[in-house]
Amino acid sequence: MRIEMALGGSLFPGLLVLFVAVCAVLWALDAVAGRRGWYRHVWHPSLFRIAVFVCLFGGLGLLLF
Amino acid sequence: MSSTSPNMPAAAAMTPWHAGLRDFLKGEADSWLFVLRTVVSFFLVGWLAMRLQLPQPGTAMMTTVVVMHRQSGMVLAKGFYRVLGTLTGAAAALGIVALFPQQREPFLLVMAMWIGACAAGATLHRNFKSYAYVLAGYTAAIIALPVITTNPGGIFDSAVARISEVLLGLVVSAVISDTVLPVRLRDTLRGAVREQYGNFLGFVREALQGQMPRERMEQAHLRVVRAAVALEDLRSSVIFEDPEARARSLHIQHFNQRFMAASTSFQSLHHLINRLLRQPEPAAAQALQVLYRPLGAALQSSPQDQPPLQLAAALQQVREALPVQAAGLRVGLSGSAQVEDFDVGVGLLQRFASELEQYVRSRAQLLQRVAPVVGQERLHFVRGNDYAGAMLAFIRTTATMLLLGAFWAATGWPSGSSAMLLGTVFAGLFATAPNAARLTSTLMGGYMAGLVAAYVCEFVVMARLDGYALLVAGVLPFFMIGPYLVSRPRLSTIGLGYTMGLVTVLAITNPTVYDPQHFFNDALSQVVALGAAAVSFLLLPPVAGTAWLRRRQMAALRAQVRLAAQAPLIGLRHRFESTNSDLVHQIVAHTAPGSEESRSLLAWALAVNETGRALIHLRQDVAREPLSPELRRQVDAAVAALAAFFEQPTQQAWLQADAVLDAAIQVARAGADTPAGAAPVLRHLRLVRLAMVDDRSVMAPYIAPMQPARQEVHDAH
Repeated sequence: MRIEMALGGSLFPGLLVLFVAVCAVLWALDAVAGRRGWYRHVWHPSLFRIAVFVCLFGGLGLLLF
Repeated sequence: MSSTSPNMPAAAAMTPWHAGLRDFLKGEADSWLFVLRTVVSFFLVGWLAMRLQLPQPGTAMMTTVVVMHRQSGMVLAKGFYRVLGTLTGAAAALGIVALFPQQREPFLLVMAMWIGACAAGATLHRNFKSYAYVLAGYTAAIIALPVITTNPGGIFDSAVARISEVLLGLVVSAVISDTVLPVRLRDTLRGAVREQYGNFLGFVREALQGQMPRERMEQAHLRVVRAAVALEDLRSSVIFEDPEARARSLHIQHFNQRFMAASTSFQSLHHLINRLLRQPEPAAAQALQVLYRPLGAALQSSPQDQPPLQLAAALQQVREALPVQAAGLRVGLSGSAQVEDFDVGVGLLQRFASELEQYVRSRAQLLQRVAPVVGQERLHFVRGNDYAGAMLAFIRTTATMLLLGAFWAATGWPSGSSAMLLGTVFAGLFATAPNAARLTSTLMGGYMAGLVAAYVCEFVVMARLDGYALLVAGVLPFFMIGPYLVSRPRLSTIGLGYTMGLVTVLAITNPTVYDPQHFFNDALSQVVALGAAAVSFLLLPPVAGTAWLRRRQMAALRAQVRLAAQAPLIGLRHRFESTNSDLVHQIVAHTAPGSEESRSLLAWALAVNETGRALIHLRQDVAREPLSPELRRQVDAAVAALAAFFEQPTQQAWLQADAVLDAAIQVARAGADTPAGAAPVLRHLRLVRLAMVDDRSVMAPYIAPMQPARQEVHDAH
């Protein structure tokens, strides 16, 4: 993955592409966790989801630089 | 104080103001929490937008205002559809400008048609999906109009800026409303499910124990319809808020479908028994009443006391005992007509019992800790749409746009494009509201107040301030009035107008410019735009709620019988029932409760539901088992004649349908003993026939002069 990516002739920041990808990953994770009821073991599910998102996005984002 | 606390209930009863105060404080706390969330996301977005050097921080801040809502699920759902609408609109803007970068007239024409098409699409969808269509329309205008006169080449930058601003606003609003002391839509959904379940079981219990007049039955049908549509609406928003609800989305749909199925069967059964009771010899009806007594007994205890699984087991026992009991009761009946009627009722009762059991079981599934993964078929809650109404919306919106565009082109007014733009926004936002003209003028009052507040804020307060913290301090007192008004149901439109006016005309930028002339130009064009939108709604009112549309929707409701008669059978029952519910719900929203019109609507809705359901079951039986060619032909003719009657109810059509139905019954009766297939067919045909000749139902005007025919029906017993 590069810092900037050319899609259809226009340059996109790699972070934006990563953002969309991590959103998709979180969506899939939510589907599994929701079905299994994992979020019941968490005090504040939405804070937890945001934290997971920040970890994934931040960690993968570091790979770009 | 401590001495009174043990007698809290007594003390509360004696001092009602105390309880009132608590309610008041709770309501206030909710409102202020909402204000807090809105304020935090508003200023956070502004700060971020300035840090990121977006060209118009005001747009991002406006986004937070538009999506603000008390419940986080609503914010997330609205945000999701707003993203879709914005992206589609941006793509459309790029395409239209690329086609006509230099020619003003074709550009305006195509733009007006795009916005009109989006407005038409919005009338074909509900809730936030319709909002996405509206947004796709006016986002294209917002992106293209500012650049088209001066710099068409800047369209791409304009699109990117708009998308970034909107997305930034949405992400921040979503995060804030989901984490800062959130109010969960999930709890509302849970409450709705619990209430629907309790109400329905209570209603069935009451109806099984005693007589229920027709009016109460119709009211109950209305409640069923409302509950079904409300649950579907809630479900479609909650899935964005709660992963668990998303995992159970399909189960909630099944729960709702079974609810509609069970209530339709129950109403059929109830009406059948009432009809049989009115006959000279009500022996069959009395036998049926004996037969359903165990069902009422199984429902005896309240749903709170009895876990659904236990109740389902009890219902299953009752259902399995039904055939034996029915055989016992049938022996006591004299005359083939009585036995036939009794069999019709037994069939219905069995169907109802098994549907009720399934309904209770799906309630049990919803209560399980882990969502079961069993393969459930996908369901779609189909809505009843009116394509002529959509066409009218297209024409109205396109015409308004063209007029505003022509005015702009002819006068060369510098603020013309911004007036056209705002006119589009408001015409789009309220295109689906029933009383758009009044709504727009109420909003306009709030908007003007917002403009005045913005003047004071910008030129008296902000001119003395420096830095973002002071900007927050300066804007806050003016801003927070808006969300507070929005949180009060009666003032919410004014509050929305106030906030929009304040934020739009403030158009906070970095750095802030002191330019009263620009301010007045902007304010004037915005008021003109709002006025134009209000006038366009007065001149070309939206069709929602008009008598014309109501008549069309009634016709569409009756035409549902044709759907039941002809559409492919797979998934037809749910499609039929959900469309019915949606249509009835749409019409009922615009009729005064208790009026002649609403009564006639409900009566027709019941007739359509009953006949349609019977036709679908009839067709399913016919498709499953081979019939003699003669009977098959007769059944097809009867189904077609019924569909024709419901589409154009006249005495002539009623006579025709009745005659064909009678002929089919004769043939089925003749063949009832030989092959296995004819007996269920006979039951369904008889059920439909009994509904057709019911002179207390909506059929009465069509059968009134046909006394001899009715006599003949009675003689047939």
